[in-house]
Amino acid sequence: MGDEQPAAQAHQPADLSIEGVSKTFHARGRSVLALSSITLKIERGSFVALIGPSGCGKSTLLRLVAGLEEPDDGAILVRNETPHSFRARGELGIAFQDPALLPWRTVRRNVGLPLQVLGKKRQADRERIDALIELVGLTGYADALPGQLSGGMRQRVAIARALVTNPSMLLLDEPFGALDQILRRSMNLELRRIWMGSATTALLVTHSIDEAAFLADAVVVMNGGPGRIIDHIAIPFPRPRAPGLFAAPEFHTLCDRLAAALEPGGAR
Amino acid sequence: MREHIKTVLWIFAVLLLWEAAARTMPAVRDVVASPSLILAQYGSSADLYIPHLLGTVRSAAFGFLFGNLVAVVAAILFCRFPSVEVAFRGVNIALFAMPPIVIGPVLAVIFSDNLPQIILAALVVYFPTMAATLVGMRDIDPRLLDVIRTYGGGRNAILRFVRLRSALPAILAGLRTAAPLSVLGAILGEFGSGVRWGLGSFLLGSLGDADPARLLGIGFAATAVASAGYGVFAWIGRRTVGATVAVTIAADRSPDTIAGADRYSLAQRAALLIVAVSLPFVLWWLILRVSQISPIIAPGPMETLRYLAAGPGGAEARTALLAALGQTLPLAGLGLVGGIAAAFVVASLTVLRPAAAKAILPVAMLLQSMPLVALVPLVLLLFDRDTAATVVMAVLVVFFPAYVMLSQGFALVPREARELVRVYGGSRTQELLLVSVPYAASYLFAAAKLVAPRALLGVMVAEWLLSGKGLGNLLNASRGLLDYDMVWAGAVVSILISVAAYEAVSMIETLVR
Repeated sequence: MGDEQPAAQAHQPADLSIEGVSKTFHARGRSVLALSSITLKIERGSFVALIGPSGCGKSTLLRLVAGLEEPDDGAILVRNETPHSFRARGELGIAFQDPALLPWRTVRRNVGLPLQVLGKKRQADRERIDALIELVGLTGYADALPGQLSGGMRQRVAIARALVTNPSMLLLDEPFGALDQILRRSMNLELRRIWMGSATTALLVTHSIDEAAFLADAVVVMNGGPGRIIDHIAIPFPRPRAPGLFAAPEFHTLCDRLAAALEPGGAR
Repeated sequence: MREHIKTVLWIFAVLLLWEAAARTMPAVRDVVASPSLILAQYGSSADLYIPHLLGTVRSAAFGFLFGNLVAVVAAILFCRFPSVEVAFRGVNIALFAMPPIVIGPVLAVIFSDNLPQIILAALVVYFPTMAATLVGMRDIDPRLLDVIRTYGGGRNAILRFVRLRSALPAILAGLRTAAPLSVLGAILGEFGSGVRWGLGSFLLGSLGDADPARLLGIGFAATAVASAGYGVFAWIGRRTVGATVAVTIAADRSPDTIAGADRYSLAQRAALLIVAVSLPFVLWWLILRVSQISPIIAPGPMETLRYLAAGPGGAEARTALLAALGQTLPLAGLGLVGGIAAAFVVASLTVLRPAAAKAILPVAMLLQSMPLVALVPLVLLLFDRDTAATVVMAVLVVFFPAYVMLSQGFALVPREARELVRVYGGSRTQELLLVSVPYAASYLFAAAKLVAPRALLGVMVAEWLLSGKGLGNLLNASRGLLDYDMVWAGAVVSILISVAAYEAVSMIETLVR
């Protein structure tokens, strides 16, 4: 994949610009302010993690970027385009906590689904799809149905699907949330490898502090009631990051700092 | 598989017992013949059975094909354009609630050959398949929608990539319900149409002789055809879907569970309501207009209203209709309440004895798919032609679907809730009274909505074929007297009553909840 550009360049223009965005949900006569004037800029090619307690609006923010929800206030620009026109070009990749595969399609046809929705010829991309299946370590399972795969394998299919359009913006909504710790860590390594090989800007929503610290260039800490950004912490570890980083003392110090930022009132 | 063998063994044991009773006791033989006698007349009268059977199967098959095609296309339209569904709500409820027996004579007036039977079979299968397809297409994983939308896919892409395929198990479940109904529709369409070959015509012609072996033979033949249709689609469903679909009757969801009109403004809703109520009448007018049938045999909605309100002989017509309703409605109400009450008691008792429930449920599922006219011979032989026969008929057609639905209600009680009672040393009876019964009570309304139109249909079939009283008889008699105005008026009034009963149960449900 991404052989056009080197990854993670500094001083790029803002790839994703979120400007004073607010979102209120209305249900049964009550309204809940889910996001309150969020402003966030993400550079091209960087990897940003969003962490925060449940219900703080992380996923809502991600859905706004994907154009799955509309903001009540403020503006979101992805490469100077609205999310709707950006995604219509097929530049967006997305993976959810649930792999959300079509149960009647094989792995190969699931991975190819975004191309079909975009109205592109899937036949021409057959090699690409197979390469992606290989990349996520599912060689030999291209013709399997989702029901025949384990949870971790299904999640990897979803990752391959997110990458199939060669996206310049990758949105990941707790993609490993349902996996056990060991599988999750190997998926983290996998994701790091895949992202390193592409020129993609990535936004990852996660509950896991060490996942955020290991993968991201910067961690954005959010808090709920109403959802807002309370901290923005740069992750200084050089790339490429080796698996050994998980055991390094400075890694744990940083994780402790992130945990402290997540504590109520512990941000500053 | 072992359950199936058990069920077969049970049926075999019952047949043996029946044979023994019929052979030793002439009183039994005179009423319900004996299995061997019924089998013997199948052999000796094969030249009658085969063309009659083929006649019904042919009409049912064409109706099944056509009705389901329309149903699936309609469901796709309703799913894609929700306001169209709201506009068609009146038509849908009318098709759900209409007693098919009143449509038969109307169709026989307009169409000839086998068309009345085919159209009636199509009308009868439309609702269950449409509802099942629509529910199947709506009831989808919202994450799949997000995936499609993220790549810029709109409603059409969602329909194409997700909804249609997701709905396949539901569509097959709908077809499974529709198959026996198409047989019922074809048979009901034979009544009063004068068609030569068909199980309904066969039954009508044999009622006079009251030969138990012949009557029960026809009943069993009709049941066998209907069950075969059910079985074929149950098998296809299991094969295609892979996993066994739960034995639910999701296909019989009542109309309001699938309408979603809350996103419209008040004015829009009012407009849609007006369209929904008037559309059935507009369609009625339009069909007659297009087919250019003489208004004498096929009056339009205005003419029928005028006939009932002020036409020549309107007062007489009103008196006759009111008298017939006075006979029919109390019996239908009695059958409805009696059938549901019995179903609730039996379903709750079987919670105490799960083994008994396991034995009863497959039988109830089978009898539920039995065309209700197949009950006529048995009811006639056991209860003759008096009022009791009519009530028994109504109770029977209500009991089985209500029982299946209520047992599902009991089966869905969360295990934790029941175990809570047991953890504190409660007995099974306490568990039943404190948790299961209140929990399953909410299914009472769902069951009532589903079976209310059936109760009316059961009573009218019994009146037409057996008792010679009430609305069923009025329709049959008016048809014989070529009183077309009354045929149409009776049909419209019974559909309106059926819809009103359905809406009344819905209203009580909203008030109680």
